[in-house]
Amino acid sequence: MTRRIVLAGVGWLVALAFLVPYLQMFFTALKPERELTASPGTYLPSHWTWSNFIDVWSAAPVWTYLRVSLTVAAVATLVTLACALPAAYYTARNRFRGRGAFLLLVLVTQMFAPTALVIGIYREMVALNLTDTLMSLILVNAAFNLPFCIWILHGYFSSIPKELEEAAFLDGAGRVGALTRVTLPISMPGVVTAVVYTFIAAWNEYIVALTVTASPDRRPLTVGIPSFVTQYQAHWQYLFAASLIAIIPVVILFIFVERYLIGGLTAGSVK
Amino acid sequence: MPDLTVKERGAGTSPASRPSLPLRIGRALTPLLWLGPSLVLIAVVVLWPVIEMIRTSLQKISSTGTTLGYRGGGNYTDLFGEDDLIPVVLRTLLWVGGIVIVTMTLSLALGQLLNARFPGRRVVRWAVIVPWAASVLMTALIWRWMLDNYSGIVNRLLLDLHVIDEPVNWLAHPTQAMFWMMWVAVFVSLPFTSFVILAGLQTIPADVYEAARVDGAGPFRTYFGITLPLLRPAVLIASIINVINVFNSFPIIWAMTGGGPGNKTDTTTTYMYKLAFYDQNVGESGAMAVVNFVLILVMVLLYLRAARWREEIR
Amino acid sequence: MKRHLMGVVAAGLTVALGVSGCGKGSSSSGGSDGKTIKFVAAIYDDNTKPYWDTLIKDFEAKNSGYKVNLEMVDWTQMDAKVKTYVQTKQVPDVLNYNAFSDFARDGLIYQASEVVSPATLSDFTPTFVQQAQYNGAQYGLPFISSARLLFYNKDLFEKAGITDPPATWDAVKTDAQKIKKTGAIGYGLPLGPEESQAEFYSWAMNNGGGWVDASGKWAINQKANVDTLDFLKDLNKSGLTQPNPESTDRKTVFNQFAQGKVGMAIGGPFTKAGFIDPVNKSLNFGVAPLPSKSGAEHNTLGVMDVLAAFKKDGGKNKEAIKKFLDFFYQKENTSKFLTTEGFLPVTKSAGDALSADPYMKQFVDALPTCKFAPTSNPAWSAVAGAVKQDLGTAAANEDPKKVLDKIQETAEKAG
Repeated sequence: MTRRIVLAGVGWLVALAFLVPYLQMFFTALKPERELTASPGTYLPSHWTWSNFIDVWSAAPVWTYLRVSLTVAAVATLVTLACALPAAYYTARNRFRGRGAFLLLVLVTQMFAPTALVIGIYREMVALNLTDTLMSLILVNAAFNLPFCIWILHGYFSSIPKELEEAAFLDGAGRVGALTRVTLPISMPGVVTAVVYTFIAAWNEYIVALTVTASPDRRPLTVGIPSFVTQYQAHWQYLFAASLIAIIPVVILFIFVERYLIGGLTAGSVK
Repeated sequence: MPDLTVKERGAGTSPASRPSLPLRIGRALTPLLWLGPSLVLIAVVVLWPVIEMIRTSLQKISSTGTTLGYRGGGNYTDLFGEDDLIPVVLRTLLWVGGIVIVTMTLSLALGQLLNARFPGRRVVRWAVIVPWAASVLMTALIWRWMLDNYSGIVNRLLLDLHVIDEPVNWLAHPTQAMFWMMWVAVFVSLPFTSFVILAGLQTIPADVYEAARVDGAGPFRTYFGITLPLLRPAVLIASIINVINVFNSFPIIWAMTGGGPGNKTDTTTTYMYKLAFYDQNVGESGAMAVVNFVLILVMVLLYLRAARWREEIR
Repeated sequence: MKRHLMGVVAAGLTVALGVSGCGKGSSSSGGSDGKTIKFVAAIYDDNTKPYWDTLIKDFEAKNSGYKVNLEMVDWTQMDAKVKTYVQTKQVPDVLNYNAFSDFARDGLIYQASEVVSPATLSDFTPTFVQQAQYNGAQYGLPFISSARLLFYNKDLFEKAGITDPPATWDAVKTDAQKIKKTGAIGYGLPLGPEESQAEFYSWAMNNGGGWVDASGKWAINQKANVDTLDFLKDLNKSGLTQPNPESTDRKTVFNQFAQGKVGMAIGGPFTKAGFIDPVNKSLNFGVAPLPSKSGAEHNTLGVMDVLAAFKKDGGKNKEAIKKFLDFFYQKENTSKFLTTEGFLPVTKSAGDALSADPYMKQFVDALPTCKFAPTSNPAWSAVAGAVKQDLGTAAANEDPKKVLDKIQETAEKAG
């Protein structure tokens, strides 16, 4: 019993430690602009300026930023999934020449980050006439998160006994039928993990969006939000208000899928 | 992608029974059907920029960004002539090593905690996930704000606790700035890593522990004798992904110090960016990008070798 | 579990399909008809975008068929953006920037005479025309200018028992010491990567130093410059500046200044409206010439931003650019921008409008003694980049001579 109390105490302290920066974000977002420059800083707003959360929408096109981020993240996730599912399934179920090479390619691809390739990416997008389009962001996010998704799904599929599928196969479901009716439903935790990982990575992507997009109506949150603090002005309260607007939906999404996430990561780590 | 078709040729055939040619071609192409979309996406969006990057590193590009033709290894010579290069590379190794080791250690403990039963565990798990859900950039910005010399909450707290007598300009001193930025990098890496560890812990069957208990093993021996070895795959995958992510981490340093003062808190990634956009030297920046990639390739391969990756993939 | 998940996926899909409709669409990037131009403007403050929006609307109403696509870029992102535009041949038709000469060198921009009418061309003040030339021909179109003077807090000066603003460097140091005794910061020194080249040059030019020698060759590591850095470093090390000049930007310095916590700092005409008024409208401050080593003569740092017009589509865009630029350079439009943003005129016609304001007049009066950074040297942008990164470290722990040597090397490498 005491053990559980100690654990709970430690647990709650850890939780608090993880939340402190975001609480600070919240309090800063509620401060009037004048108070931001007070030194030493204040812990809590002297005047709780809830209007910051309303004014921020007109201070910058936050709604557009949200829409762009959501579009890019959602479509990129779908593209990734559409590419990763068949590849992961096939490599998990079949031995064929080139399998090792493919998995190695996936691993090597995982090592590239858009950050390191940003100039190359930009030049490519120009060649494809895709600069300043959401398509370019979708492609980049889909491709760079593909390796991780293939890994996770590969691991998950491998952990599912072949026999389960074989039964459906014998019932005349065919290979694709067996995949969609039997394997995929069991693999949901793996799929959820892949989805969440890609979605978050795309939602947070910064440097490519910074370089490839130009028009204000194609700027995602990560590029739009820092522009509250420029060379001449510092609207930290808006910056953090907008950040919270961006963070909260994702946290809620996470809370919903947290259970599956652990299951999904299990598979990735077993194999 | 001619090379890929070559690789796939004859896949799946067994020499014992020689089926007809169309069937063999059909079989050889089956993998392509399943792997095709992934291969196309990787080739077009990842490999193409890699080639562009290598090409850029060999070109002479003026300060406006106009390409003036090839200049051979000139960019590399310039790069290796930079006094800042070696400190930056060493700092990058410290950055990656430090963050990954601390993250893994803390995550092993955190995973254990999140796996234990106690009231409110759900909520604690949710709280731990928050930095993953929040964008790294925004987390870095709030830390920068908290560490502000004049209005930052960290200085206020430490002043109130009488730990310091006057405000400390945390992000202006290279050593302190590095410490804080590494802490932020650990902070944002913890959720993913500890969840992978947690997932790994849940795959360990209860009867293994039962057996250990019957053998009379203490908690210490149980952990190092049983838990840790069984967590090996989880630790392996989490640390590889962390090495890659931390190595390429840009937003934390960019938002908190911009690599300054001077180049004192640059890693290879921010240095590469600054070569292009401060020093106006895109070609040299391309060379840095290539060196950067070689570095990470070597690091990951060494790691995989040490961890005997081949056994894990089977 | 399944339904729940499918719900999430379905929601994602709906959003994706619903919104991706606006993927490309609106920006057909224009230009081919020669009547649509893209204008990239820098964000000076919150008022910049509304100004351009109104101006463009007005322009489009008066010139039917012509269209201006506006893109606003923050100064902190400007360098990166400009480089990618050029590299990828996606240049705007008109760019609002702080450099032009390397564009001219690489043959990317029009000469001024090709894109504005002779009347507009002759309206530019000669000082600025000189700064806008490359190889003897004018390429840049002076856009706004600015001058730097010493801001001082009158209340703090009184409290410290100082009667006049300092004219010499020695006086700066003794005054800073007196101010420090009152508990405030003596001198606010922003040598962070934001704009250290301007702060440094404001001091160096008043010690006979500078970026180039008389023949126009780079002379960054000359003795006068080293001495200047030694002086600034000494101020820092004697505890007379705010902590860590090497990572402080102007925003921070003037924020503290506005709160009455800094005795002196170098600022420009926009400093009052941009930095001081938002924090403390009633701050009792004065403006004085920049102090010099000897105190004999006082130079002022001049800053000029330009508009540059890019060559595109074999010159088809020239006509539309000309229409737009001539429209902007009409007296009332230019002076409205200057008063909105707090900058100094570059044209004769907009000149007198500002002198009515006593605060602004001090800066207008300082313009004749202005010295400029060598923006007409195409290597300048690379030099400025190196200065921004490294110069501040000399005020902290690095050796000033070494730092300047390194920048000199960069400068010579860049041409």
